[in-house]
Amino acid sequence: MNLLLVEDDLDLGNGVRIALANQGMDVVWVRRLGDALRTLDGGTFDMVLLDLGLPDGDGLELLFRLRRDKQILPVLVLSARDALDDRLRSLDDGADDYLVKPFALAELLSRVRALARRSYGFNDETIRMRGLALHEPTRGVIVDGEPVELSRCEFDLLALLLKRTGRVVTRRVMEEQVLPGGQANGSNSLEVHISNLRKKIGQGYIRTVRGIGYVIDVQSLVRSTPK
Amino acid sequence: MMQALALRWRKWKQPSLMRRLLLAQMAVVALLWTMAIALLLYDSYEDPELLKYQKIFHTITVIAENLADRPDRQQETLAAFDQVLVEASGDGDAAADTAAVLQVWQKDRLIYRSTAGVPVILNTVPNRIETVTAGGREWRARTHVSANSDTRVMLAEPSVWRLTVTMAYRGYYLLPLVISLPFLVFPAWLSMRVALRPWRQVTKETSERGPADMTPLSYTPPHKELQPLVQSINSLLQRVRDSTSRERSLIADAAHELRTPLAAMRVNVEALKEQSTDEGQRELMGNLLRSNDRAARLVGQLLQLMRSDAVLHGDLPVMLSLDALVQDRLAMIEGLASTRGVELELECEGNVPVLGERESLVSMIDNLINNAIKYSPANGRVLVKVASESARAVLTVADQGPGIPPALRERVFDRFFRNPDQTQSGSGLGLAIVKSVVDRHGGEVVLEEAEGGGLLVTVRLPLAAAEAPQPMLSL
Repeated sequence: MNLLLVEDDLDLGNGVRIALANQGMDVVWVRRLGDALRTLDGGTFDMVLLDLGLPDGDGLELLFRLRRDKQILPVLVLSARDALDDRLRSLDDGADDYLVKPFALAELLSRVRALARRSYGFNDETIRMRGLALHEPTRGVIVDGEPVELSRCEFDLLALLLKRTGRVVTRRVMEEQVLPGGQANGSNSLEVHISNLRKKIGQGYIRTVRGIGYVIDVQSLVRSTPK
Repeated sequence: MMQALALRWRKWKQPSLMRRLLLAQMAVVALLWTMAIALLLYDSYEDPELLKYQKIFHTITVIAENLADRPDRQQETLAAFDQVLVEASGDGDAAADTAAVLQVWQKDRLIYRSTAGVPVILNTVPNRIETVTAGGREWRARTHVSANSDTRVMLAEPSVWRLTVTMAYRGYYLLPLVISLPFLVFPAWLSMRVALRPWRQVTKETSERGPADMTPLSYTPPHKELQPLVQSINSLLQRVRDSTSRERSLIADAAHELRTPLAAMRVNVEALKEQSTDEGQRELMGNLLRSNDRAARLVGQLLQLMRSDAVLHGDLPVMLSLDALVQDRLAMIEGLASTRGVELELECEGNVPVLGERESLVSMIDNLINNAIKYSPANGRVLVKVASESARAVLTVADQGPGIPPALRERVFDRFFRNPDQTQSGSGLGLAIVKSVVDRHGGEVVLEEAEGGGLLVTVRLPLAAAEAPQPMLSL
């Protein structure tokens, strides 16, 4: 994977370059907005890691030009600005993700991989997670090699959880996005759908966070196979 | 009782502008009156009224001459006229010491005298008021001599008593002044009170504002005396505001600038740690990373604190649903909790609308929950509740950690204060941020012991009255 890293800080830029190179990624590191624009014109990249405060301009400038030229190149913004406004502005301007400094290397790697996965539709739009495979266009779900029949709601819930693997999806978001009629649909129906979903795909995938929402953990993938 | 009296006395003794004004006014009035009275007295001392009228002397002369051939009628008429004079000039009592005295001579013979007690008074020059001593007393006397020099008429008033006589005689001039003096004080006091109303309004507005309120006074009096005062208060407030905001942005900028080197440190150590297989080295690098975490957290909290303290915040308060906001934040932080083996649980009781600044409330919730997770034992549980009770939104966070001893529960809100017995690393800013946000929103925060020993934090915020809160953004 070819990455363009735009970061003016010497130590941080060099550190990120080495850390990503250790993971087998090809990183081109530039320290100025002008260099970044020239480098982008000259080569093909799979992703841009962009710092916002650059000595010769705002990183958002690059973002703006990319989007103006209708380039779908994914951009991950690395910034010291953590105010909500800054994040919203970056995302509005076309950034795909936003990471506030200082960040953990693991977090950076997972976001880079997630972005790569998302933007290139790895495996024909199939999301794979442990023994689960979900194919959105055909609304098909395979558990441990066996196809499973899911209702519309159950499929949408599973898709929502799988797209945000490792992050808790709140009950409110689930109710608003998946359940017909939204929250007005009785407070138990979300539990009923999740319960049915668990019966069909197995108990080991979806973890309940009481009162808050549900999550499919990444860690279990590393720890063991689903029970 | 004595204390109350003493307090009242001290209060009364305190110098007051109102009293100064009142006293000054009274002094001016008293001075004017004194001058008026002095003028009056001087005027009447110069020329006793009775002696000034030529007509009186003329009339007596006419009576004496016309009735010269009938002495009994003459005596009777003169006595009657004398009586009139006495009544008109003094207090009407002919026997009194203050009464005027009339003596009439005809052909050098004394034909009439008011009273035998007063010896004959002789003027040296006719028709001039003179001071004459007779019978051991001083008199103001005037003698009129008729054209043929046959009849002399002498009128005299005792000079010593004249002041009193005049006072009594002119009493009707002075009485209203004397009576109105006390009555003048009250209207003067009342009018000053009314006139000073703008002053009191300025005082009220200044005293009612909170310590963090640096906005200019809303009331700008048009009055010449008050305007400069209010203007200088406002400009002082402006200067304080400017200097605090400079200070704040300096701290925020510094914290901001620290983030990039912290990130660089972290990324390099992490990359190094991945390459190293030596357990001892990895442990040392783990320590480095933990310290880096702490510094990063401190920087983040400093920024939050500067933001939540900002006097003029860019954000307008918006209608938020506290339950949804808490749910969102818990979902964000759950990852941290699950890596620490801490279980999060939320209990919500319907929709809890709150009018507030989203970012401040987020940092408040984050700090509360992060604290609870940090101090929870492994396999512990953090229970968060959102409810509404009598016009208040209530957020409680209970953990199963060591709690905070009652003696320290006030001090932990101080910046950089940390419980000395505590082993967890922390900046000592978390609860200070919570307190600052809660204060900004007009709420209160209370620390108690949770069931089973942990810390129970209760935050109460004013409940907003709106129906539909705006949809939340999950970021």
